[in-house]
Amino acid sequence: MEKKKYERPIIKQLVTGVPGKFGRPEKPNIMTHIDGVSVKSLLNEYGSPLFVMSEKKMREKYQTAKQAFTTRYPKVQMAWSYKTNYLDAVCSIYHQEGSWAEVVSGFEYDKAIELGVEGSKIIFNGPTKSEADLIKAITNESLIHIDNIDELYLILKITEKINIRPKVAIRVNMDTGIYPMWDRFGFNYENGMAWEALNKIMHSGKLDLIGLHTHIGTFMLAPNAYKIAAQKLSDLALGLKKKFSHNIKYIDMGGGFASTNSLKGIYMPGVDTSPSIDDFAEAITSALLSAHYSTEELPVLILETGRALIDEAGYLLGTVLANKRLISGQRATIADIGVNILFTSFWYDHKISVAQEMTDFTEPTALFGPLCMNIDVIRENVELPLLNIGDNFVVHYAGAYNMTQWMQFITMRPKVVLIDEQGRTHIIRENESLETIKQLEKVPEYLSKFEL
Amino acid sequence: MVKKIKSVFPNFLESVLHSYSLIFFGKNNFLASVLLLVTFLDFYTGIAGLLATIITSFTAYLIGLNSKKIISGYYGFNSLLVGLGLGIQFQPSLELYIILAFAALLTLLLTVSIEGFFQKYGIPYLTFPFLFAIWIITLATRQYEALNISERGIYILNDLQNWGGSFSVIIYKWLNTLPLSESLVIYFKSLGAIFFQYNILAGIIIAIALLIYSRISFLLSLIGFFSAYFFYDFIGANIDELNYNYIGFNYILTAIAMGGFLIIPSRYSFLWVVLLTPLISLFISGSAIILDIVQLPVYSLAFNIVVVMFLYALNWRIRFNRKPAITSMQLFKPELNLYYQNNSSERFYHNKYLSIRVPVLGEWTVSQSYNGEYTHKEEWQHALDLIITDNAGNQFTSSGENKEDYYCYNKPVVAPAAGTVVKIVDKIEDNLIGNVNIENNWGNTIIIKHLDGLYSKLSHLRKNSSKVKTGDYVIKGDILAYCGNSGRSAYPHLHFQMQSTPYIASKTIFYPIANFISAKGKKYSFLSYAIPKKDEKISDIVFNENLKSAFQFVPGQMFDVNITKSNGKKFQLSWEVQADIYNNIYFYCKDTKSKAFFINNDNIHYFTHFSGDKNSMLFYFYIALFKVPLGYYKEMNIVDCLPLSILKNRPQKILQDFVAPFFTFLHAKYSLKFVRKSDDFSKSRIEIKSNVSLKRIKKTYRTIDFDIKIINNSIEKLKIKEGNKIVTATIKLK
Repeated sequence: MEKKKYERPIIKQLVTGVPGKFGRPEKPNIMTHIDGVSVKSLLNEYGSPLFVMSEKKMREKYQTAKQAFTTRYPKVQMAWSYKTNYLDAVCSIYHQEGSWAEVVSGFEYDKAIELGVEGSKIIFNGPTKSEADLIKAITNESLIHIDNIDELYLILKITEKINIRPKVAIRVNMDTGIYPMWDRFGFNYENGMAWEALNKIMHSGKLDLIGLHTHIGTFMLAPNAYKIAAQKLSDLALGLKKKFSHNIKYIDMGGGFASTNSLKGIYMPGVDTSPSIDDFAEAITSALLSAHYSTEELPVLILETGRALIDEAGYLLGTVLANKRLISGQRATIADIGVNILFTSFWYDHKISVAQEMTDFTEPTALFGPLCMNIDVIRENVELPLLNIGDNFVVHYAGAYNMTQWMQFITMRPKVVLIDEQGRTHIIRENESLETIKQLEKVPEYLSKFEL
Repeated sequence: MVKKIKSVFPNFLESVLHSYSLIFFGKNNFLASVLLLVTFLDFYTGIAGLLATIITSFTAYLIGLNSKKIISGYYGFNSLLVGLGLGIQFQPSLELYIILAFAALLTLLLTVSIEGFFQKYGIPYLTFPFLFAIWIITLATRQYEALNISERGIYILNDLQNWGGSFSVIIYKWLNTLPLSESLVIYFKSLGAIFFQYNILAGIIIAIALLIYSRISFLLSLIGFFSAYFFYDFIGANIDELNYNYIGFNYILTAIAMGGFLIIPSRYSFLWVVLLTPLISLFISGSAIILDIVQLPVYSLAFNIVVVMFLYALNWRIRFNRKPAITSMQLFKPELNLYYQNNSSERFYHNKYLSIRVPVLGEWTVSQSYNGEYTHKEEWQHALDLIITDNAGNQFTSSGENKEDYYCYNKPVVAPAAGTVVKIVDKIEDNLIGNVNIENNWGNTIIIKHLDGLYSKLSHLRKNSSKVKTGDYVIKGDILAYCGNSGRSAYPHLHFQMQSTPYIASKTIFYPIANFISAKGKKYSFLSYAIPKKDEKISDIVFNENLKSAFQFVPGQMFDVNITKSNGKKFQLSWEVQADIYNNIYFYCKDTKSKAFFINNDNIHYFTHFSGDKNSMLFYFYIALFKVPLGYYKEMNIVDCLPLSILKNRPQKILQDFVAPFFTFLHAKYSLKFVRKSDDFSKSRIEIKSNVSLKRIKKTYRTIDFDIKIINNSIEKLKIKEGNKIVTATIKLK
């Protein structure tokens, strides 16, 4: 007989009788395998902590999203939002599915080009585009989404130097009835800035105005806001048609669709509160289809959704380093996952599962990371089973933004492993080592020696 | 002189020539020239025929009749026959030519009148005008004393001596010594008799010309004649009648008209040629006795009557019986008609079906097709049930206990074709999953009237989801309502059927979907006029704006085509998009006088027909872009068949021509693939590869590859590769 696992004793109120308003007390989440690959074996092979991406989940999410739109609207194009996760392997999966690239900096732009994305299939967004970036993008016939009037002037200046007509769209911000209103990006719809920019572009005669873009917010829980945004963009598009007889080729509704992650401060878990991709699709397409475009001139609908396609496909695996009790009496568990690699723990109450069989007993626990910093808290309070040192656990919904916003701080960034559709594992990013960090450093000669 | 005539009447020569070849239902300069020559075997007859033709064509032109018809020779060929008939009857004299001129005018007027009468019935006027004209004139001239009956044609040797010296007499004598069977001699004489040349030489020349011009026509002339010959033999009729009166040509002309020209050549048309023979015989013998009273020959009366009656009867058919099929597009050569018909019946059903699309957006899965296992049975067997499935094949997400879990629920349903909404049911509750509403089994339904007797019905729609009202006119693709779960529907799905009556419970009719994309993973195939099968994932073709504008050819557009051959030779051609009065649109190559006809509908570009030089660049352009869907689908292989008329006259093609009504052993296969696409929004670049492979039985004996580049919304480059030979054409809009 196998030796039973030791679990520390706890004292807990016994709940009997009828279930409460939240049903029966939840059993702890146990996840021993990801896409058929055991968590333990992954950690043994690649070390802890470890990011794991599921290719199956990514493709599945992409196809569901695409289908939600294409069965409602005839012309749909997805563009992978690089900032959400720009690991080459991840981007390649979306490009294989047919996604274009949506980038917001010269660095991301170069990364997309390096990966083999054709210039004309890159959408260049964001407020930071240098003159050199713009020249490159114009030469490559990329789609430039102008963020502000100074950028417009800069592009017009560039057209005097190079003999290629830039393909541009403007980013529009607007009141869609939600708070906060992202008025810092693009030109405002209500105060006429958007029209001012459109007039300037049309009258300049030097730019190909081919699209309109908006991105109304992030982790949006109100599909109706998209409906309003699509209506307002359509107003602009049809206005351009009326005023300049100019057809807009595409409407880019940006991204910001919520994943099923649980935002901090929201009472119910994300799986129950987040609208589905179908809700967003219905809101956007119904607005476009009822906007009185002629059938032949229906614009292409571009979507830059990132998070909703990848959040659920990413897992962060970790190991318990120590347990302690805080003076409040709350249990605390210290793990090897810090906020430096799980940046999104500032926004979300990440779902956590344990990676080995355990009893049903749980205890409210604070889950801390390994950093010598007070802010290094993964979950302030989570019902966890009684974990021992060396036990493993899985942080869910970690696919979006972490592998782009993580930082090398105190500890180094771990490996990222991809599980392909056949269940094989591939390292898609190596862990950092002392070498990696030192590589970039330079020590002036006079500091090269010291004695203590 | 010719120049001067040309300045007044530009297509004068063509119109005269076509009058000659039209006697054999052709528009062919070679055949015409030979026939013209044959009429001059008797010089004065030839002169009379030519004169009558010219006078008629000119008069028709001066009056201002339809110049297309004049050029085609429609008004000339009856006059030609009248001219020939008078020419052989009378001695040449000024009086004769004056009478001839008025005879030509009379024939023209008769032609127009008879055409007007027959047109209503959709049948051709054949040589009726000739018959009326020649009879009237023959009767009338009995009163004209200035005309002398000719003795030519009776003393043939004298005539030949006068015409071609002793050499022609020798040839004639030699021909007579040929060991030709009696039947063959009559056959040749009958052929000659069509042009009032009662001699074997004329017949032999005509037969050879006919063989070179069209194998099927030649074959039919033999079949027509010999079935008559054997019939006479069998019935014990006087074979001399066939010989003496030279009326054998009635059988020949009927055979060509019925066997291959007015009817598409096939084993059925050939059978009818044989079956119609006794009828002609009856008419000839019967009418001869009546006409004998006034001493008039029957000429081609029997041919005219039998053809017109038979054609009229075929027009009355109410069954969709295509055997034998009436020629819908006349290309003036049985082979061309046959190859075109074979090809277009494979490619298009335009005559038969209205083009209807998949009535949804995006990719849907057929959960029940025609003759389905659940409810598509008996009177309701021709229907489609559509759902949406994910990659794993599931039709719902989460538990599937709520209708909202189903992918297809609440998705837009669009009009399959333009029409008027005639019926809407919109107030029936959606069922809970697993329940059915037997009482209102069709649930919420929209019925659209597309044509008289053609309706589409879309059922099980979501309650209150209708976006249209009764009486609304919708166009193809307009959103009608949303998919629901009402009526006899346990799970959300869309029921789609075509019917011939406007009622909810109407029975279904077989009706293929005009064009759709069928997907297997990321492999797409393009289907035309097909019924989607169960579990097939289907979607409407989503057009690509760049492809669409690249294939938007407007009459009046001119193109400069610069050609570079592999040996470095360069030259320039000029193409123009033109439209004829029947709204056929085609590319016209001025240098080679070639035409490539095309149509562009339902987001597909098709070339339909080519005439002219088969070595020209336009010809290669025609086969390279034979069929192009105007939506970009990377993993899709588009296939089609080219008509065999694209082949040149090599021995195997000639053999194929002979057996074509029964059997095809040569095939020309076409395929096309999209290779690359970049820059969708302004300076598009699309690369297409297409290929034509010629097959003998199943073995490929020749392949030609094409690379097509579309840049900036227009076709810019065509590269033709065959073996090591590469020819490039750069096409530029002027």
